[in-house]
Amino acid sequence: MTNSIEELRGAEVIMVIGSNTTEAHPQVARRLVAAVDNGKNLIVIDPRRTAISEFADIHLQIRPGTDIPLLNAMMRIILDENLIDDVFIEMRTENFSSLRDSLYTMDLNELIAITGVTAEAIGQAARMYARAQKGVICYCLGITQHICGTGNVESIANLAMITGNVEQSFTGVNPLRGQNNVQGACDMGALPGVFPGYQPVQDLETRKKFERAWKKSLPENLGMTLMQMTHSGRDGQIRAMFIMGENPVLSDPHASLVKETLEGLDFLAVSDIFLTETAELADVVFPAASFAEKDGTVTNSERRVQLMRRAILPIGKCRTDSDIIMELSKRMGYRMDYEDMAEVMEEIALLTPIYGGIYHDRLEKDWGLQWPCTDRNHPGTPYLHKYSFTRGKGRFVPAEHHPPDESPDSEYPFLLMTGRVYHHYHTGTMTRTSEMLEREAPRAVLEIHPDDAGSLNIRKGDMVKISSKRGSIEIEAEPTTRVMKKSLYTSFNFRETPVNILTNPAMDPVAECPEYKICAVKVEKVGHNE
Amino acid sequence: MKHYLTTCCFCGCGCGLYLHVTNGRVVGSSPSRNHPVSRNNLCVKGWHIHEFIHDSGRLTRPLVRKNGTLVHTDWDEALELTAERLSGTISTHGSDAIGVVSSAKCTNEENYLLQKFTRAVLSTNNVDHCARL
Amino acid sequence: MNEKFILRKDHLTGFLRKLSKGHRLVAPVRNRYGDLMFQVIDSLETTDLDLSEQAQESPKAFFLPQEEVLFSYEASGGIYDFRPINNSEQTVYFGLRSCDISAILYMDVIFLRSPRDDHYMKKRKDSILISIGCNTPGENCFCNATRTGPFLEYGFDLQFTDLGDRFFVESGRARGDEIFSEWPQFFHPVTEEDVRLQYQLALEAKAGFRRQIHVEPAFSKLRDDAVDTAVWREMASRCDGCGGCAYICPTCTCFTIFDRMESTETGKRIRAWDSCTHAGFTRMAGGHNPVDMKIDALRRRFMHKLYYDYSAFRRPSCVGCGRCVDMCFGGVDIVKFIDIVCAGTRKRTRDSRRILGDLLLEAGLISRTDLEKALSRQADTGEALGKILMDLGLVTCAEILGVLSLENM
Repeated sequence: MTNSIEELRGAEVIMVIGSNTTEAHPQVARRLVAAVDNGKNLIVIDPRRTAISEFADIHLQIRPGTDIPLLNAMMRIILDENLIDDVFIEMRTENFSSLRDSLYTMDLNELIAITGVTAEAIGQAARMYARAQKGVICYCLGITQHICGTGNVESIANLAMITGNVEQSFTGVNPLRGQNNVQGACDMGALPGVFPGYQPVQDLETRKKFERAWKKSLPENLGMTLMQMTHSGRDGQIRAMFIMGENPVLSDPHASLVKETLEGLDFLAVSDIFLTETAELADVVFPAASFAEKDGTVTNSERRVQLMRRAILPIGKCRTDSDIIMELSKRMGYRMDYEDMAEVMEEIALLTPIYGGIYHDRLEKDWGLQWPCTDRNHPGTPYLHKYSFTRGKGRFVPAEHHPPDESPDSEYPFLLMTGRVYHHYHTGTMTRTSEMLEREAPRAVLEIHPDDAGSLNIRKGDMVKISSKRGSIEIEAEPTTRVMKKSLYTSFNFRETPVNILTNPAMDPVAECPEYKICAVKVEKVGHNE
Repeated sequence: MKHYLTTCCFCGCGCGLYLHVTNGRVVGSSPSRNHPVSRNNLCVKGWHIHEFIHDSGRLTRPLVRKNGTLVHTDWDEALELTAERLSGTISTHGSDAIGVVSSAKCTNEENYLLQKFTRAVLSTNNVDHCARL
Repeated sequence: MNEKFILRKDHLTGFLRKLSKGHRLVAPVRNRYGDLMFQVIDSLETTDLDLSEQAQESPKAFFLPQEEVLFSYEASGGIYDFRPINNSEQTVYFGLRSCDISAILYMDVIFLRSPRDDHYMKKRKDSILISIGCNTPGENCFCNATRTGPFLEYGFDLQFTDLGDRFFVESGRARGDEIFSEWPQFFHPVTEEDVRLQYQLALEAKAGFRRQIHVEPAFSKLRDDAVDTAVWREMASRCDGCGGCAYICPTCTCFTIFDRMESTETGKRIRAWDSCTHAGFTRMAGGHNPVDMKIDALRRRFMHKLYYDYSAFRRPSCVGCGRCVDMCFGGVDIVKFIDIVCAGTRKRTRDSRRILGDLLLEAGLISRTDLEKALSRQADTGEALGKILMDLGLVTCAEILGVLSLENM
């Protein structure tokens, strides 16, 4: 996020796009509701009628996968009505002319027709956002989990920049991060192309710096992404894997291929706190300590680095993941001698400019520090891009509509979207052992429009079989107008209904984020669940 | 009963919460009133976060596959075997035949150590996590 | 009973040290992050008690823990051996607020009437309750409206009043008198000046509330069932079901029971906090939920707090501690609810279109003049808008239900 969560209260207009905020980021939704109650305006863009959309002044219920035409239409209206922020564009951005030219070549009516929303509603939303002194955009996986995810994100940036809604507090663009430390895992360089702090592995100077610090020569070529590693099939290039605290068998698209890939490995080691579907395939399973049993830091969505503190000793013979890594490293001839996690963080601070001032003792004193925090005296950064963008000037990158990789056809007439439920976290390995959470949300349901349900003779509680080209699952149906006709929605948190058997591994070519949000399926009734 | 302030592990909001500990067991959780995110409340997952920690399904001993099934073993064997097999893979197929998946659920320090291990010890950049999922 | 003494502030630590011999001491402590919580005090030398304001959590968890083992079991040869567990310990609670004491008195009613709850009773018998009156009520406090503070007449073993350099200490029960007679060296006789000053502080505290909460009018509205369905629906739509309001509430005593297996032979029976705002609270085994969570998710909670208990005990089970104020993810805490109910149908809805009158207008069932007529009558009588419209013969009950359910689609 470029802003802090608490700052959202102060925005004048908030635009939420592709985020089921109430269920996935309750604390963000809490600020949105508070803002609405204080008379601020909320625009929600989502194909589903989510809980947060009920609070919106304008809810644009677009067809799935039509974010780019929608954002382009909004920008075109803003351009036509001269609501752009000339000064901001002039001083702080570049390549505006290419965006402008691209928008002028598009037919506004055509764009609007693609989205399935009325011209009037789009116009209202465009004006509301453009006229705001303080406009904030929040987006989530509804934007990124598309084959055109990068284009979606760039279009959001374009919209924010042409209206100048970027540079101060209460304005900005906020990707809401899903898992508790997805921000930190990226910051720490658990990515195939970068060292900690997004320093490219292919940059010679950077590599030299890390080689000197780690006293080892380091590989130069880019690594493989998770999708490449887990979807290469039985005889892929990867022969051995070490998986720490992840459950790709349930969380990755086209799950049967993931399983096949992992089964085909010569060796698989998994470190986890439960025997997950992935751990069941392993040759060695390490029992890891849970968050309550270890010290360390995590970085939340607002870039706030915070301490996790050990409350109890690891249960049974569990050991922390850091312990396991250090032990393995030692046994493979490379000593990692860290007394505690504070010492690891000192090394991170030395090598990672954006974490340069982050030390455990500083975090102890306050509610964490928001990076960039470059030295010991730096107070942290509540909002980004105050005086300039990370790369200097903000660059406009025009984007065009890119239809989903898989569209409904006569055989697979429905469009399936996937998401999460409020009561469970990710693949449910932790939350589903909780008696109360499991009582509240024991199973996934398939949301289907009542008209579609009616024509298939499906009632609430009926079991249906949904199938895509890749496989099929059985699930309980719930007719509801939360979804539009011909679209379906369910969550991926439940192992009994492993919806990722169905999902399409087609992915955005830049971000390599799979298109979880759209795949074509058919629905058949199989029985009644009672 | 003692209260330990920590950070919730159930979403990217990062609430400040207290774990309540009695006799070495986590028996409750509650929000911090002053934390800038949690501000006196947690979502339902946070209020019940203590319930998974001592679940009987937790792994408490290392497992190793023998004759097709996973059986209990000690740490020494599990670690030694893993080190051996990883080294073996490197010598037969090269470093790039190893893939490492780090975790968005682990700490910064653990992610740092794992990518360092991958790059410096296994000599490959094949390290990723589920940022995209 | 009701003896009064003076305890000098510099003698407080010594007094508590005496009390904590043979007792666990629980008192409010502020940690370095600014959060103030009741904690078990291991050492009075190294811990600074903080009596400046209300602790962020009530002491409820000490009497009704978030998760409590009732008994453990072990099976061998098909025979179960049940082992009772004693979770209680002799404890002195120091620095409770009047709302905390009132909440414990309420829990006594729930758990000590027949059938008695032995786990709770043991903990209550083992407790000494020492409260401190609130000279300056907190920002969200409204115990004046619930008649549970800021100072109490009874319920405490000892009640402290801060008189500046000394505490005015009064006993409310025999337990308190025993303390006076066991450690007389700490206590000095009160002067007339002390009594006058204490009385004055208690009066000033009553005037110090920043919120005016109309608990009794809310009770009347609920009694007369005069709360519009649209209001309940609005409340329900804003409830995430986090359970936080019930968990933090010092008088919410609902719990659930489950057995936690530890192995095939052993396990524990657990009692854990539950909340009526959870769907699973009333959902039956077959999946049917007699409560429509789209309308009544919060109805039970507010009816219980403000109406059922008021009818039964002549006082609401809300003690006005204000802990749930501003905590709700959907912005519907008890104070806002009372405000909305007492302001008639002038609801703070998210979208004015959704108010019943507008819905009927939209549906073409009434005209704007009709609506204005009804609204002006409402301003006089405070009746529910739906009722007025029906009384005037403008709409039928079925029509109102019709537009509301359309709204729900």
